[in-house]
Amino acid sequence: MAAEHWSERLQRFDRRWIFLIMGLAVVVPLFVPLNLPTRPDPMTKAAYNTVEALPEGARVFVSIDLDPSATPELEPFYRAVILHLKRKRARLVFATTWYAAPPLVNRYLRETVDRAIAPPGAEGYDGAPDRAYQRNVDYVYLGFRDGRSAIIQAFGSDLRGAFDGRADDGTPLDRIPMMQGLNKLADFDLVVLVSAGSPGAKEYVQYVGTRNRLPMVAACTAVSTADLAPYVQTGQLLGLVGGMAGAAGYERLVGKPGAGTAGADVLNIGTMVVILAIVFGNVVYFAGRAHRRRGGRS
Amino acid sequence: MKKTVPLILGMVFGAYALAEFYLPHHAVAGLSDELRSWAAILSAAAFILGGLNILQVTWPKIRRREDDWGYKVVLLGGAAVMLAVGLPWHKLGDPPRAPTVARTAGGAGPGATVIVTVPDDVTYTVGTVVGPGTGAPIAIAVEPGPVAIKLSKRLAGYRPLTTTVDVAAGDTVTVGGEPPILWGRDGRVFTWIYDHVFGPANATMFSLLAFFVASAAFRAFRARSIEAALLLTAAIIMLIGRAPFGGAISSVFPDLAQWLLDVPQNGGRRAIMMGAAIGAIATGLRVIVGIERSHLGSE
Repeated sequence: MAAEHWSERLQRFDRRWIFLIMGLAVVVPLFVPLNLPTRPDPMTKAAYNTVEALPEGARVFVSIDLDPSATPELEPFYRAVILHLKRKRARLVFATTWYAAPPLVNRYLRETVDRAIAPPGAEGYDGAPDRAYQRNVDYVYLGFRDGRSAIIQAFGSDLRGAFDGRADDGTPLDRIPMMQGLNKLADFDLVVLVSAGSPGAKEYVQYVGTRNRLPMVAACTAVSTADLAPYVQTGQLLGLVGGMAGAAGYERLVGKPGAGTAGADVLNIGTMVVILAIVFGNVVYFAGRAHRRRGGRS
Repeated sequence: MKKTVPLILGMVFGAYALAEFYLPHHAVAGLSDELRSWAAILSAAAFILGGLNILQVTWPKIRRREDDWGYKVVLLGGAAVMLAVGLPWHKLGDPPRAPTVARTAGGAGPGATVIVTVPDDVTYTVGTVVGPGTGAPIAIAVEPGPVAIKLSKRLAGYRPLTTTVDVAAGDTVTVGGEPPILWGRDGRVFTWIYDHVFGPANATMFSLLAFFVASAAFRAFRARSIEAALLLTAAIIMLIGRAPFGGAISSVFPDLAQWLLDVPQNGGRRAIMMGAAIGAIATGLRVIVGIERSHLGSE
Protein backbone atom coordinates (compact mmCIF):
# COMPACT_ATOMS: atom_id res chain seq x y z
CA MET A 1 0.00 0.00 0.00
CA ALA A 2 1.43 3.34 -1.13
CA ALA A 3 2.19 5.90 1.52
CA GLU A 4 -0.25 8.74 1.79
CA HIS A 5 1.01 11.92 0.12
CA TRP A 6 1.72 14.80 2.54
CA SER A 7 -0.82 17.05 0.83
CA GLU A 8 -3.56 14.51 1.48
CA ARG A 9 -2.64 14.32 5.14
CA LEU A 10 -2.75 18.10 5.37
CA GLN A 11 -6.16 18.18 3.64
CA ARG A 12 -7.47 16.51 6.79
CA PHE A 13 -5.66 19.03 9.00
CA ASP A 14 -7.56 19.35 12.26
CA ARG A 15 -9.05 22.82 12.17
CA ARG A 16 -8.78 23.13 15.94
CA TRP A 17 -5.08 23.91 15.35
CA ILE A 18 -6.14 26.92 13.30
CA PHE A 19 -8.50 27.97 16.08
CA LEU A 20 -5.61 27.71 18.56
CA ILE A 21 -3.26 29.73 16.35
CA MET A 22 -5.93 32.39 15.82
CA GLY A 23 -6.63 32.47 19.55
CA LEU A 24 -2.94 33.08 20.26
CA ALA A 25 -2.77 35.68 17.45
CA VAL A 26 -5.58 37.59 19.16
CA VAL A 27 -4.40 37.28 22.75
CA VAL A 28 -0.58 37.57 22.56
CA PRO A 29 -0.41 41.06 20.92
CA LEU A 30 -2.56 42.41 23.74
CA PHE A 31 0.25 41.52 26.16
CA VAL A 32 3.22 42.02 23.80
CA PRO A 33 2.36 45.06 21.66
CA LEU A 34 4.22 45.52 18.37
CA ASN A 35 3.36 49.24 18.20
CA LEU A 36 3.56 49.39 14.41
CA PRO A 37 2.65 52.86 13.15
CA THR A 38 -0.89 53.27 11.87
CA ARG A 39 -1.45 55.22 8.67
CA PRO A 40 -4.85 56.93 8.34
CA ASP A 41 -6.47 56.18 5.00
CA PRO A 42 -7.87 59.02 2.82
CA MET A 43 -11.48 58.42 3.93
CA THR A 44 -10.48 58.63 7.61
CA LYS A 45 -8.49 61.80 6.93
CA ALA A 46 -11.55 63.27 5.19
CA ALA A 47 -13.70 62.50 8.27
CA TYR A 48 -11.12 64.11 10.54
CA ASN A 49 -10.81 67.21 8.33
CA THR A 50 -14.61 67.61 8.28
CA VAL A 51 -14.76 67.66 12.10
CA GLU A 52 -11.66 69.85 12.27
CA ALA A 53 -13.29 72.42 9.95
CA LEU A 54 -16.29 72.86 12.29
CA PRO A 55 -16.58 76.27 13.93
CA GLU A 56 -16.33 76.58 17.74
CA GLY A 57 -19.64 75.68 19.37
CA ALA A 58 -20.95 73.86 16.28
CA ARG A 59 -24.15 71.87 16.70
CA VAL A 60 -23.60 68.20 16.00
CA PHE A 61 -26.06 65.31 15.88
CA VAL A 62 -24.53 61.95 16.86
CA SER A 63 -26.46 58.78 16.04
CA ILE A 64 -25.07 55.76 17.88
CA ASP A 65 -26.51 52.73 16.11
CA LEU A 66 -24.74 49.65 17.39
CA ASP A 67 -24.84 46.77 19.83
CA PRO A 68 -22.11 45.22 22.00
CA SER A 69 -20.82 42.98 19.19
CA ALA A 70 -19.59 46.03 17.24
CA THR A 71 -17.98 47.87 20.14
CA PRO A 72 -14.37 46.70 19.52
CA GLU A 73 -14.49 48.27 16.05
CA LEU A 74 -16.64 51.33 16.71
CA GLU A 75 -16.07 52.40 20.31
CA PRO A 76 -12.48 53.59 19.64
CA PHE A 77 -13.73 55.90 16.89
CA TYR A 78 -16.63 57.09 19.07
CA ARG A 79 -14.25 58.05 21.89
CA ALA A 80 -11.81 59.77 19.53
CA VAL A 81 -14.47 61.76 17.70
CA ILE A 82 -16.20 62.84 20.93
CA LEU A 83 -12.85 64.13 22.24
CA HIS A 84 -12.34 65.90 18.92
CA LEU A 85 -15.83 67.44 19.07
CA LYS A 86 -15.46 68.47 22.71
CA ARG A 87 -12.18 70.19 21.88
CA LYS A 88 -14.19 72.22 19.35
CA ARG A 89 -16.70 72.96 22.16
CA ALA A 90 -19.39 71.42 19.96
CA ARG A 91 -22.92 71.17 21.35
CA LEU A 92 -23.96 67.58 20.99
CA VAL A 93 -27.31 65.88 20.50
CA PHE A 94 -27.32 62.08 20.79
CA ALA A 95 -29.90 59.51 19.66
CA THR A 96 -30.05 55.84 18.70
CA THR A 97 -32.25 53.76 16.42
CA TRP A 98 -31.07 50.38 17.74
CA TYR A 99 -33.11 48.76 20.52
CA ALA A 100 -30.05 47.05 21.97
CA ALA A 101 -28.06 50.28 22.19
CA PRO A 102 -29.54 52.41 25.03
CA PRO A 103 -27.66 50.86 27.99
CA LEU A 104 -24.45 51.08 25.95
CA VAL A 105 -25.13 54.70 24.98
CA ASN A 106 -25.84 55.57 28.62
CA ARG A 107 -22.45 54.14 29.57
CA TYR A 108 -20.73 56.01 26.72
CA LEU A 109 -22.31 59.27 27.84
CA ARG A 110 -21.27 58.70 31.46
CA GLU A 111 -17.69 57.86 30.50
CA THR A 112 -17.02 60.28 27.67
CA VAL A 113 -19.41 63.23 27.90
CA ASP A 114 -20.29 63.63 31.57
CA ARG A 115 -16.55 63.34 32.29
CA ALA A 116 -13.50 64.73 30.51
CA ILE A 117 -11.79 62.20 28.23
CA ALA A 118 -8.46 64.06 28.23
CA PRO A 119 -8.36 66.45 31.20
CA PRO A 120 -5.36 68.78 31.57
CA GLY A 121 -2.24 66.71 32.28
CA ALA A 122 -3.65 63.47 30.86
CA GLU A 123 -0.85 60.94 30.42
CA GLY A 124 0.41 60.43 26.86
CA TYR A 125 -1.66 63.27 25.44
CA ASP A 126 -0.32 66.61 24.20
CA GLY A 127 -3.46 67.98 22.57
CA ALA A 128 -5.97 70.48 23.89
CA PRO A 129 -7.85 69.18 26.94
CA ASP A 130 -11.59 68.68 27.00
CA ARG A 131 -13.97 69.18 29.90
CA ALA A 132 -16.96 67.44 31.46
CA TYR A 133 -20.17 68.36 29.68
CA GLN A 134 -23.38 69.04 31.55
CA ARG A 135 -26.52 67.20 30.46
CA ASN A 136 -29.20 69.40 28.90
CA VAL A 137 -26.75 72.32 28.92
CA ASP A 138 -23.85 71.24 26.71
CA TYR A 139 -25.43 68.07 25.36
CA VAL A 140 -28.80 66.38 25.05
CA TYR A 141 -29.58 62.68 24.87
CA LEU A 142 -32.84 62.13 23.03
CA GLY A 143 -32.94 58.37 23.58
CA PHE A 144 -34.07 55.47 21.41
CA ARG A 145 -36.83 55.42 18.82
CA ASP A 146 -37.84 52.38 16.81
CA GLY A 147 -39.10 52.64 13.25
CA ARG A 148 -36.00 51.97 11.15
CA SER A 149 -36.05 54.03 7.94
CA ALA A 150 -39.37 55.70 8.85
CA ILE A 151 -37.95 57.12 12.07
CA ILE A 152 -34.80 58.31 10.29
CA GLN A 153 -37.04 60.15 7.83
CA ALA A 154 -38.87 61.64 10.82
CA PHE A 155 -35.54 62.89 12.23
CA GLY A 156 -35.02 64.64 8.90
CA SER A 157 -38.31 66.51 8.99
CA ASP A 158 -39.28 66.81 12.68
CA LEU A 159 -36.65 65.68 15.18
CA ARG A 160 -38.54 67.05 18.19
CA GLY A 161 -41.78 65.37 17.12
CA ALA A 162 -39.98 62.04 16.69
CA PHE A 163 -39.06 62.18 20.40
CA ASP A 164 -42.38 63.67 21.57
CA GLY A 165 -40.63 66.94 22.36
CA ARG A 166 -38.69 65.48 25.30
CA ALA A 167 -35.14 64.41 26.06
CA ASP A 168 -34.53 60.88 27.35
CA ASP A 169 -34.67 62.07 30.97
CA GLY A 170 -38.09 63.63 30.37
CA THR A 171 -36.94 67.25 30.17
CA PRO A 172 -39.04 69.16 27.60
CA LEU A 173 -36.77 70.14 24.71
CA ASP A 174 -38.34 73.62 24.73
CA ARG A 175 -36.77 74.22 28.15
CA ILE A 176 -33.25 73.32 26.99
CA PRO A 177 -31.56 76.47 25.66
CA MET A 178 -29.09 74.62 23.41
CA MET A 179 -32.01 73.02 21.53
CA GLN A 180 -33.24 76.40 20.31
CA GLY A 181 -33.42 76.35 16.53
CA LEU A 182 -32.74 72.62 16.36
CA ASN A 183 -35.89 71.10 14.87
CA LYS A 184 -34.59 68.79 12.18
CA LEU A 185 -31.33 67.24 11.01
CA ALA A 186 -30.71 70.03 8.50
CA ASP A 187 -30.35 72.47 11.43
CA PHE A 188 -27.12 70.76 12.54
CA ASP A 189 -23.66 71.68 11.33
CA LEU A 190 -22.68 68.02 11.15
CA VAL A 191 -24.21 64.57 11.54
CA VAL A 192 -21.89 61.89 12.95
CA LEU A 193 -23.02 58.32 12.40
CA VAL A 194 -21.55 55.51 14.49
CA SER A 195 -23.11 52.72 12.56
CA ALA A 196 -22.83 48.94 12.96
CA GLY A 197 -25.41 47.99 10.33
CA SER A 198 -29.04 48.56 9.49
CA PRO A 199 -30.63 50.94 10.30
CA GLY A 200 -27.57 53.13 10.16
CA ALA A 201 -25.38 55.17 7.87
CA LYS A 202 -26.83 53.70 4.67
CA GLU A 203 -30.40 54.61 5.68
CA TYR A 204 -29.31 58.10 6.74
CA VAL A 205 -27.73 58.64 3.32
CA GLN A 206 -30.66 57.20 1.40
CA TYR A 207 -33.57 58.74 3.30
CA VAL A 208 -32.39 62.08 4.67
CA GLY A 209 -28.79 62.80 3.73
CA THR A 210 -29.06 63.51 0.03
CA ARG A 211 -32.58 64.96 0.24
CA ASN A 212 -31.60 67.53 2.88
CA ARG A 213 -27.96 67.94 1.76
CA LEU A 214 -26.75 66.96 5.23
CA PRO A 215 -23.02 67.12 6.01
CA MET A 216 -22.39 63.63 7.37
CA VAL A 217 -19.43 61.51 8.42
CA ALA A 218 -19.75 57.87 9.39
CA ALA A 219 -17.88 55.08 11.10
CA CYS A 220 -18.74 51.50 10.30
CA THR A 221 -17.49 47.96 10.85
CA ALA A 222 -14.77 46.76 8.48
CA VAL A 223 -17.18 44.52 6.56
CA SER A 224 -19.51 47.48 5.87
CA THR A 225 -16.73 49.68 4.48
CA ALA A 226 -17.18 48.37 0.97
CA ASP A 227 -20.94 49.08 1.22
CA LEU A 228 -20.51 52.69 2.25
CA ALA A 229 -17.36 53.67 0.32
CA PRO A 230 -19.32 54.66 -2.85
CA TYR A 231 -21.12 57.33 -0.81
CA VAL A 232 -17.78 58.95 0.02
CA GLN A 233 -16.86 59.19 -3.65
CA THR A 234 -20.18 60.85 -4.47
CA GLY A 235 -19.86 63.29 -1.56
CA GLN A 236 -22.95 61.94 0.20
CA LEU A 237 -20.67 61.09 3.10
CA LEU A 238 -17.88 63.57 3.79
CA GLY A 239 -15.72 60.94 5.45
CA LEU A 240 -15.78 57.28 6.45
CA VAL A 241 -13.89 55.53 9.22
CA GLY A 242 -13.85 51.81 8.45
CA GLY A 243 -13.34 49.28 11.21
CA MET A 244 -10.60 49.13 13.80
CA ALA A 245 -7.86 50.17 11.35
CA GLY A 246 -9.80 53.34 10.51
CA ALA A 247 -10.42 54.04 14.20
CA ALA A 248 -6.70 53.64 14.93
CA GLY A 249 -6.00 56.15 12.16
CA TYR A 250 -8.52 58.60 13.63
CA GLU A 251 -6.99 58.20 17.09
CA ARG A 252 -3.60 59.02 15.60
CA LEU A 253 -4.97 62.16 13.94
CA VAL A 254 -6.65 63.27 17.18
CA GLY A 255 -3.42 62.57 19.04
CA LYS A 256 -4.77 60.28 21.73
CA PRO A 257 -4.01 56.57 21.20
CA GLY A 258 -6.67 54.32 22.64
CA ALA A 259 -8.30 50.94 22.14
CA GLY A 260 -8.13 51.28 18.34
CA THR A 261 -4.35 51.69 18.38
CA ALA A 262 -3.99 48.80 20.84
CA GLY A 263 -6.33 46.69 18.70
CA ALA A 264 -4.31 47.43 15.57
CA ASP A 265 -1.69 44.96 16.80
CA VAL A 266 -4.35 42.26 17.10
CA LEU A 267 -5.49 43.20 13.61
CA ASN A 268 -1.92 42.89 12.31
CA ILE A 269 -1.29 39.42 13.67
CA GLY A 270 -4.83 38.18 12.99
CA THR A 271 -4.59 39.34 9.37
CA MET A 272 -1.20 37.63 9.01
CA VAL A 273 -2.72 34.37 10.27
CA VAL A 274 -5.55 34.62 7.72
CA ILE A 275 -3.09 35.35 4.89
CA LEU A 276 -0.85 32.46 5.93
CA ALA A 277 -3.90 30.18 6.15
CA ILE A 278 -4.86 31.16 2.58
CA VAL A 279 -1.32 30.60 1.28
CA PHE A 280 -0.92 27.32 3.19
CA GLY A 281 -4.31 26.09 1.98
CA ASN A 282 -3.40 26.85 -1.63
CA VAL A 283 0.05 25.21 -1.37
CA VAL A 284 -1.64 22.05 -0.07
CA TYR A 285 -4.30 22.28 -2.79
CA PHE A 286 -1.83 22.71 -5.68
CA ALA A 287 0.57 20.09 -4.31
CA GLY A 288 -2.31 17.62 -4.08
CA ARG A 289 -3.47 18.45 -7.60
CA ALA A 290 0.06 18.01 -9.01
CA HIS A 291 0.38 14.70 -7.19
CA ARG A 292 -2.91 13.45 -8.60
CA ARG A 293 -1.88 14.50 -12.13
CA ARG A 294 1.31 12.51 -11.75
CA GLY A 295 -0.86 9.47 -11.09
CA GLY A 296 -0.90 9.45 -7.33
CA ARG A 297 -3.92 8.41 -5.32
CA SER A 298 -6.82 10.84 -5.33
CA MET B 1 -63.10 42.73 1.07
CA LYS B 2 -60.40 41.22 3.27
CA LYS B 3 -57.83 42.05 0.64
CA THR B 4 -59.45 44.92 -1.21
CA VAL B 5 -59.30 47.40 1.68
CA PRO B 6 -55.59 46.74 2.47
CA LEU B 7 -54.88 46.91 -1.27
CA ILE B 8 -56.58 50.32 -1.58
CA LEU B 9 -54.83 51.58 1.57
CA GLY B 10 -51.49 50.43 0.15
CA MET B 11 -52.19 52.16 -3.16
CA VAL B 12 -53.29 55.45 -1.56
CA PHE B 13 -50.51 55.73 1.03
CA GLY B 14 -47.87 54.39 -1.35
CA ALA B 15 -48.82 56.97 -3.98
CA TYR B 16 -48.87 59.71 -1.33
CA ALA B 17 -45.41 58.76 -0.01
CA LEU B 18 -44.09 58.93 -3.57
CA ALA B 19 -45.84 62.22 -4.41
CA GLU B 20 -44.49 63.82 -1.22
CA PHE B 21 -41.02 63.90 -2.77
CA TYR B 22 -42.32 66.11 -5.60
CA LEU B 23 -44.70 68.39 -3.64
CA PRO B 24 -42.66 70.76 -1.46
CA HIS B 25 -45.68 72.13 0.46
CA HIS B 26 -45.82 72.28 4.27
CA ALA B 27 -49.29 70.67 4.38
CA VAL B 28 -48.00 67.67 2.44
CA ALA B 29 -44.93 67.43 4.67
CA GLY B 30 -47.11 67.67 7.81
CA LEU B 31 -49.25 64.72 6.79
CA SER B 32 -46.13 62.78 5.88
CA ASP B 33 -44.72 63.38 9.37
CA GLU B 34 -47.99 62.11 10.82
CA LEU B 35 -47.83 58.98 8.70
CA ARG B 36 -44.23 58.38 9.76
CA SER B 37 -45.33 58.63 13.39
CA TRP B 38 -47.88 55.92 12.66
CA ALA B 39 -45.13 53.81 11.12
CA ALA B 40 -42.98 54.25 14.24
CA ILE B 41 -45.90 53.28 16.50
CA LEU B 42 -46.65 50.21 14.37
CA SER B 43 -42.98 49.27 14.46
CA ALA B 44 -42.93 49.53 18.27
CA ALA B 45 -46.16 47.51 18.49
CA ALA B 46 -44.46 44.77 16.47
CA PHE B 47 -42.22 44.13 19.49
CA ILE B 48 -45.32 43.14 21.51
CA LEU B 49 -46.54 40.90 18.70
CA GLY B 50 -43.04 39.41 18.46
CA GLY B 51 -43.08 38.60 22.17
CA LEU B 52 -46.47 36.92 21.92
CA ASN B 53 -45.32 35.06 18.82
CA ILE B 54 -42.27 33.67 20.62
CA LEU B 55 -44.57 32.40 23.38
CA GLN B 56 -46.98 30.90 20.85
CA VAL B 57 -44.23 29.11 18.93
CA THR B 58 -42.04 28.04 21.85
CA TRP B 59 -44.45 26.96 24.57
CA PRO B 60 -46.01 24.01 22.65
CA LYS B 61 -42.50 22.70 21.86
CA ILE B 62 -41.58 22.78 25.54
CA ARG B 63 -44.83 21.05 26.48
CA ARG B 64 -44.19 18.27 23.94
CA ARG B 65 -40.52 18.02 25.01
CA GLU B 66 -39.36 18.40 21.40
CA ASP B 67 -35.65 18.48 20.44
CA ASP B 68 -33.67 21.19 22.25
CA TRP B 69 -36.65 22.09 24.42
CA GLY B 70 -34.24 23.05 27.18
CA TYR B 71 -32.91 25.97 25.11
CA LYS B 72 -36.46 27.19 24.64
CA VAL B 73 -36.94 27.20 28.41
CA VAL B 74 -33.83 29.39 28.65
CA LEU B 75 -35.25 31.65 25.91
CA LEU B 76 -38.59 32.12 27.65
CA GLY B 77 -36.93 32.38 31.07
CA GLY B 78 -34.56 35.06 29.79
CA ALA B 79 -37.41 37.00 28.20
CA ALA B 80 -39.46 36.78 31.42
CA VAL B 81 -36.55 37.95 33.57
CA MET B 82 -35.81 40.91 31.27
CA LEU B 83 -39.49 41.85 31.22
CA ALA B 84 -39.65 41.69 35.02
CA VAL B 85 -36.51 43.76 35.63
CA GLY B 86 -37.41 46.13 32.81
CA LEU B 87 -40.52 47.39 34.61
CA PRO B 88 -40.08 50.49 36.80
CA TRP B 89 -41.02 48.85 40.11
CA HIS B 90 -39.52 51.72 42.11
CA LYS B 91 -42.49 53.85 41.06
CA LEU B 92 -44.75 51.69 43.26
CA GLY B 93 -43.02 53.09 46.34
CA ASP B 94 -41.68 56.54 47.03
CA PRO B 95 -37.88 56.29 47.18
CA PRO B 96 -36.18 59.51 48.31
CA ARG B 97 -35.11 62.11 45.76
CA ALA B 98 -33.15 64.36 48.16
CA PRO B 99 -30.50 63.64 50.80
CA THR B 100 -31.22 64.09 54.49
CA VAL B 101 -30.20 67.56 55.59
CA ALA B 102 -29.81 68.80 59.18
CA ARG B 103 -28.84 72.40 59.87
CA THR B 104 -27.19 73.87 62.98
CA ALA B 105 -27.17 77.68 63.06
CA GLY B 106 -25.17 80.12 65.11
CA GLY B 107 -21.51 79.26 64.55
CA ALA B 108 -18.81 81.85 64.32
CA GLY B 109 -17.03 83.04 61.17
CA PRO B 110 -18.02 84.46 57.81
CA GLY B 111 -18.30 81.09 56.03
CA ALA B 112 -20.39 77.98 56.48
CA THR B 113 -19.60 74.26 56.63
CA VAL B 114 -21.28 71.30 54.96
CA ILE B 115 -20.51 67.94 56.58
CA VAL B 116 -21.10 64.99 54.26
CA THR B 117 -21.34 61.44 55.61
CA VAL B 118 -21.81 58.90 52.81
CA PRO B 119 -20.56 55.36 52.06
CA ASP B 120 -17.42 54.90 49.97
CA ASP B 121 -19.34 53.89 46.83
CA VAL B 122 -21.10 57.26 46.75
CA THR B 123 -19.72 60.40 45.12
CA TYR B 124 -20.74 63.74 46.62
CA THR B 125 -20.97 67.10 44.88
CA VAL B 126 -21.21 70.13 47.16
CA GLY B 127 -21.22 73.31 45.09
CA THR B 128 -18.16 72.88 42.92
CA VAL B 129 -16.44 70.35 45.22
CA VAL B 130 -16.64 66.74 44.03
CA GLY B 131 -15.21 63.76 45.90
CA PRO B 132 -15.69 60.16 46.97
CA GLY B 133 -17.36 59.24 50.24
CA THR B 134 -15.37 57.44 52.94
CA GLY B 135 -18.05 56.42 55.42
CA ALA B 136 -16.66 59.07 57.81
CA PRO B 137 -17.82 62.71 58.04
CA ILE B 138 -16.13 65.03 55.51
CA ALA B 139 -16.22 68.78 56.22
CA ILE B 140 -16.43 71.16 53.25
CA ALA B 141 -16.23 74.92 53.65
CA VAL B 142 -18.75 76.82 51.53
CA GLU B 143 -19.73 80.43 50.94
CA PRO B 144 -23.08 81.56 52.39
CA GLY B 145 -25.94 81.36 49.89
CA PRO B 146 -27.61 78.57 47.91
CA VAL B 147 -25.44 75.43 47.68
CA ALA B 148 -26.31 72.60 45.26
CA ILE B 149 -25.77 69.16 46.80
CA LYS B 150 -25.78 65.88 44.89
CA LEU B 151 -25.08 62.34 46.08
CA SER B 152 -24.68 59.71 43.35
CA LYS B 153 -23.51 56.10 43.23
CA ARG B 154 -20.53 55.41 41.04
CA LEU B 155 -22.42 52.48 39.48
CA ALA B 156 -25.27 53.07 37.02
CA GLY B 157 -28.84 52.21 38.00
CA TYR B 158 -29.30 54.33 41.13
CA ARG B 159 -31.21 57.59 41.45
CA PRO B 160 -28.94 60.50 42.47
CA LEU B 161 -30.12 62.46 45.51
CA THR B 162 -30.16 66.20 44.81
CA THR B 163 -31.15 69.28 46.73
CA THR B 164 -30.22 72.94 47.11
CA VAL B 165 -29.64 74.27 50.64
CA ASP B 166 -29.64 77.98 51.46
CA VAL B 167 -26.86 78.35 54.03
CA ALA B 168 -26.14 81.40 56.16
CA ALA B 169 -22.81 82.51 57.60
CA GLY B 170 -21.84 80.33 60.56
CA ASP B 171 -24.23 77.48 59.64
CA THR B 172 -23.19 73.85 59.81
CA VAL B 173 -25.21 71.62 57.48
CA THR B 174 -25.01 67.85 57.89
CA VAL B 175 -25.84 65.85 54.76
CA GLY B 176 -26.34 62.10 54.46
CA GLY B 177 -28.23 59.46 52.54
CA GLU B 178 -27.79 56.65 50.04
CA PRO B 179 -29.07 56.88 46.46
CA PRO B 180 -31.94 54.37 46.03
CA ILE B 181 -31.85 51.59 43.47
CA LEU B 182 -33.86 52.07 40.28
CA TRP B 183 -35.72 49.44 38.26
CA GLY B 184 -36.71 49.51 34.62
CA ARG B 185 -34.57 50.18 31.54
CA ASP B 186 -32.16 52.45 33.43
CA GLY B 187 -32.27 50.33 36.59
CA ARG B 188 -29.40 48.58 38.31
CA VAL B 189 -30.47 44.98 37.60
CA PHE B 190 -31.30 45.64 33.94
CA THR B 191 -27.97 47.43 33.45
CA TRP B 192 -26.08 44.66 35.23
CA ILE B 193 -27.65 41.93 33.07
CA TYR B 194 -26.93 43.99 29.94
CA ASP B 195 -23.31 44.63 30.91
CA HIS B 196 -22.49 41.18 32.28
CA VAL B 197 -24.67 38.77 30.28
CA PHE B 198 -26.06 40.28 27.06
CA GLY B 199 -22.96 42.33 26.16
CA PRO B 200 -20.37 39.56 26.54
CA ALA B 201 -22.65 36.94 24.91
CA ASN B 202 -23.36 39.26 21.97
CA ALA B 203 -19.68 40.13 21.53
CA THR B 204 -18.69 36.46 21.79
CA MET B 205 -20.98 35.46 18.93
CA PHE B 206 -19.39 38.11 16.68
CA SER B 207 -15.85 37.28 17.84
CA LEU B 208 -16.25 33.64 16.81
CA LEU B 209 -16.20 34.86 13.21
CA ALA B 210 -12.44 35.38 13.47
CA PHE B 211 -11.95 31.66 14.05
CA PHE B 212 -14.32 30.59 11.29
CA VAL B 213 -12.75 33.06 8.84
CA ALA B 214 -9.29 31.62 9.56
CA SER B 215 -10.58 28.07 9.14
CA ALA B 216 -12.42 28.96 5.92
CA ALA B 217 -9.29 30.73 4.62
CA PHE B 218 -7.41 27.42 4.83
CA ARG B 219 -10.17 25.11 3.59
CA ALA B 220 -12.23 27.04 1.05
CA PHE B 221 -10.34 30.04 -0.26
CA ARG B 222 -8.50 28.33 -3.14
CA ALA B 223 -7.49 29.42 -6.61
CA ARG B 224 -9.50 26.73 -8.42
CA SER B 225 -10.18 28.98 -11.43
CA ILE B 226 -9.03 32.27 -12.96
CA GLU B 227 -11.93 34.13 -11.29
CA ALA B 228 -11.14 32.58 -7.91
CA ALA B 229 -7.44 33.47 -8.35
CA LEU B 230 -8.36 37.11 -9.10
CA LEU B 231 -10.61 37.22 -6.05
CA LEU B 232 -7.89 35.67 -3.93
CA THR B 233 -5.26 38.16 -5.11
CA ALA B 234 -7.57 41.12 -4.49
CA ALA B 235 -8.44 39.79 -1.03
CA ILE B 236 -4.78 39.38 -0.04
CA ILE B 237 -3.92 42.88 -1.29
CA MET B 238 -6.86 44.30 0.68
CA LEU B 239 -5.89 42.36 3.81
CA ILE B 240 -2.29 43.55 3.65
CA GLY B 241 -3.19 47.09 2.60
CA ARG B 242 -5.84 47.69 5.25
CA ALA B 243 -3.85 46.21 8.14
CA PRO B 244 -1.26 48.57 9.65
CA PHE B 245 1.63 46.19 8.92
CA GLY B 246 0.99 46.65 5.17
CA GLY B 247 1.94 50.31 5.43
CA ALA B 248 4.97 49.39 7.53
CA ILE B 249 6.21 47.07 4.74
CA SER B 250 5.61 49.51 1.89
CA SER B 251 3.29 52.42 1.16
CA VAL B 252 2.41 50.62 -2.07
CA PHE B 253 0.09 48.19 -0.24
CA PRO B 254 -2.25 50.79 1.33
CA ASP B 255 -2.32 52.73 -1.95
CA LEU B 256 -3.09 49.60 -3.94
CA ALA B 257 -5.82 48.60 -1.46
CA GLN B 258 -7.33 52.08 -1.66
CA TRP B 259 -7.29 51.91 -5.46
CA LEU B 260 -9.04 48.53 -5.35
CA LEU B 261 -11.67 50.00 -3.04
CA ASP B 262 -12.11 53.23 -5.01
CA VAL B 263 -12.13 51.92 -8.54
CA PRO B 264 -13.12 48.28 -9.18
CA GLN B 265 -15.00 47.78 -5.90
CA ASN B 266 -16.93 51.03 -5.94
CA GLY B 267 -17.73 50.64 -9.64
CA GLY B 268 -19.12 47.16 -9.12
CA ARG B 269 -20.90 48.11 -5.93
CA ARG B 270 -22.50 51.14 -7.56
CA ALA B 271 -23.81 48.99 -10.40
CA ILE B 272 -25.34 46.57 -7.89
CA MET B 273 -26.87 49.43 -5.88
CA MET B 274 -28.38 51.05 -8.96
CA GLY B 275 -29.75 47.73 -10.17
CA ALA B 276 -31.28 47.05 -6.76
CA ALA B 277 -32.74 50.57 -6.66
CA ILE B 278 -34.36 50.16 -10.06
CA GLY B 279 -35.75 46.83 -8.88
CA ALA B 280 -37.12 48.50 -5.74
CA ILE B 281 -38.76 51.22 -7.85
CA ALA B 282 -40.37 48.59 -10.06
CA THR B 283 -41.62 46.60 -7.04
CA GLY B 284 -42.90 49.79 -5.38
CA LEU B 285 -44.82 50.76 -8.50
CA ARG B 286 -46.28 47.26 -8.76
CA VAL B 287 -47.51 47.55 -5.15
CA ILE B 288 -48.95 51.03 -5.73
CA VAL B 289 -50.88 50.04 -8.84
CA GLY B 290 -52.04 46.80 -7.23
CA ILE B 291 -50.22 44.29 -9.45
CA GLU B 292 -47.96 43.03 -6.64
CA ARG B 293 -50.07 41.49 -3.88
CA SER B 294 -47.70 39.09 -2.14
CA HIS B 295 -47.43 41.43 0.89
CA LEU B 296 -51.12 40.79 1.59
CA GLY B 297 -50.45 37.12 2.27
CA SER B 298 -51.27 33.96 0.35
CA GLU B 299 -54.65 33.28 -1.23
